[in-house]
Amino acid sequence: MIADTWHLFNKYMKISMRMPLWSLFSLVQPLLWLFIFGSLFQNFAHLPGFPTDSYIDYFVPGVVIMTVLFGSSWSGVSLLREISAGTVDKMLVSPASRSSIVLSLVLHSAVQVVAQTLIVLLAAWMLGSSLNVNPIYILLAMLVVLLLGVAFAAISNGLAIMLQREEPLIIMGNMMTLPLMFFSTAMVPKQFMPEWIQYIAMINPVEYAVSSVRAVLVGEVDLVVYSSGLIAILVFAIATLAWAISAFKGLRD
Amino acid sequence: MIRITGLSKTYASGTKAVIDLNLTIEEGEIFALLGPNGAGKSSAIKILTTLSGFDNGQAMVAGYNVDSEPNKVRQSIGYVAQETGVDYFLTGRENMKLQGHLYRMTKQDIISRIDELSSYFDLVKPLDDLVSSYSGGMRRKLDIAMALIHRPKVIFLDEPTLGLDTKSRHSLWKYIEKLNTELGLTILLTTHYLEEADSLSHRVAIIDAGQIKIIDTPETLKSNIHGDVVSLEFAENTNSTDELSWELKQQDFVKDTVWENAKLHLYVNNGAESIPKIVTFTNKNNVELKNISFSRPTLDDVFIQYTGNSLDGNKEEAGEQWWEKWAGKGGGGKWSNKWNEAEKDSPNSVENEPKPDEDWKKWQSSEKNTTENTSGKSSGNNDWKKWQNNGNNDTKWP
Repeated sequence: MIADTWHLFNKYMKISMRMPLWSLFSLVQPLLWLFIFGSLFQNFAHLPGFPTDSYIDYFVPGVVIMTVLFGSSWSGVSLLREISAGTVDKMLVSPASRSSIVLSLVLHSAVQVVAQTLIVLLAAWMLGSSLNVNPIYILLAMLVVLLLGVAFAAISNGLAIMLQREEPLIIMGNMMTLPLMFFSTAMVPKQFMPEWIQYIAMINPVEYAVSSVRAVLVGEVDLVVYSSGLIAILVFAIATLAWAISAFKGLRD
Repeated sequence: MIRITGLSKTYASGTKAVIDLNLTIEEGEIFALLGPNGAGKSSAIKILTTLSGFDNGQAMVAGYNVDSEPNKVRQSIGYVAQETGVDYFLTGRENMKLQGHLYRMTKQDIISRIDELSSYFDLVKPLDDLVSSYSGGMRRKLDIAMALIHRPKVIFLDEPTLGLDTKSRHSLWKYIEKLNTELGLTILLTTHYLEEADSLSHRVAIIDAGQIKIIDTPETLKSNIHGDVVSLEFAENTNSTDELSWELKQQDFVKDTVWENAKLHLYVNNGAESIPKIVTFTNKNNVELKNISFSRPTLDDVFIQYTGNSLDGNKEEAGEQWWEKWAGKGGGGKWSNKWNEAEKDSPNSVENEPKPDEDWKKWQSSEKNTTENTSGKSSGNNDWKKWQNNGNNDTKWP
């Protein structure tokens, strides 16, 4: 299974290396948001009780997670493309492990998203945000990014199998990512939220991702917040991946 | 090599894909499943290649049970799908390499196999180009080469020449034939081209609405329909054609006469021998002929005999939308039902099924006109072959 996943993963990496523009394309939106929201909410930081000195410092982890959501919730589209191109059938008539087909797509998407977030961090740094640019902290943040990428790519693949069409998949993707963003502390600190949103945020996996990335990248490093968030996302990733794989297997027989 | 007994499958949407299929295919045979779109050919192939499940019956491929030993079946078969399963964004070599890896071949073996197959299929030059630059015929060849990488004993070709132009189609036929004669591969192919089943396969099963109507060699099937048909077309100012047809009907060599608009079809035992006799009769009756032609019965006639339909009038592609083909008996049914309903409401969706068929038919009929206008005189061996292959599209059996 590991070898199959590796070979298929290689194939997808090769393809995206050949079309680097395509991967960069989904970066446009987070970068725009970083710039627009960063300027729009500039004065938020002057409000009493705001956790950071400048809004952009606060917002960077939010944009990082946004990049993950936008980047990985497209993964199912590639699966649908492969199905209609007949390449999935080609894999399925071979003795290759069924799980590795989903696994390789999901991993590819997650790795792609890690590369994208690194570019976003670079852009944020150039815009003058003061992040903890310690390689270890960045690595820890990327671990969260990778796991969240796995989770959302898995959801997207699972939905692709259920819906079997691109259009509703894209609509579902948007329907899922935007509210999850707003129901988290990506843009607004917790104490500024109405109480009911705070409750939703407590069960929102995106919130855990945002807060653990923020815990290592912005201000004082808080490894307790980081690791509790990491565990939550790890569980989430495993569950969604298992669901996607079982959906994929369930379709055939 | 392949043994199917009592195989049935119903899609979750209620469409019956195959009904009580019984079939045995021997080693080294080229076997064609001939039928219109939606007849259940692809469904049968999907079951045999472990791509979809089935409800009842048993299927054995290369000595293994499709249901209980799918991985052993997979290891011994190659499959070329209707949609080409090659990745457009990889090169030919990368496609083959990946396929080799998925079959758990060693690196060394993959390399030597790629060399072998690429020279066999004449793909050495474009091997390192992206597949997106390949022609349709090249893609299909690559697809077949990929299916052969692990040296399977059986290959399944689902509509192997669908969407190809005539030249590539004929060249592909040669490759397929060679695979059988030189490598001894057992080949099961589906097609809705009569010519393909006729010229390639040792035996044909005519399949319609999920059921096999008859299995036999193309020759036997054709000879079951006795005799030839001679078609006459008359010059415009000819009047006594009715008397002529009546008079011809009295002759021993004519079994029956049928008018199709202004065309007269004569059913005779031996076309070549009857033509001079018919010409004598027309001269005697002062009937001026515009055109005379004769043809052997084709598989189309056989098809009409067993199914009551012509293969020309292709049925709606029912139950073969890709998601239905893809969705086995497990899930997908509920959703695909919904989509099916939505499909019906929007007439111009997903109806981009290529119609190579029509082009082929057009080509055929134009070709035919030119050969036929020789007014019955010359029927050298070559012309005869052509006629035979061209079929007789405008001849409708009663």
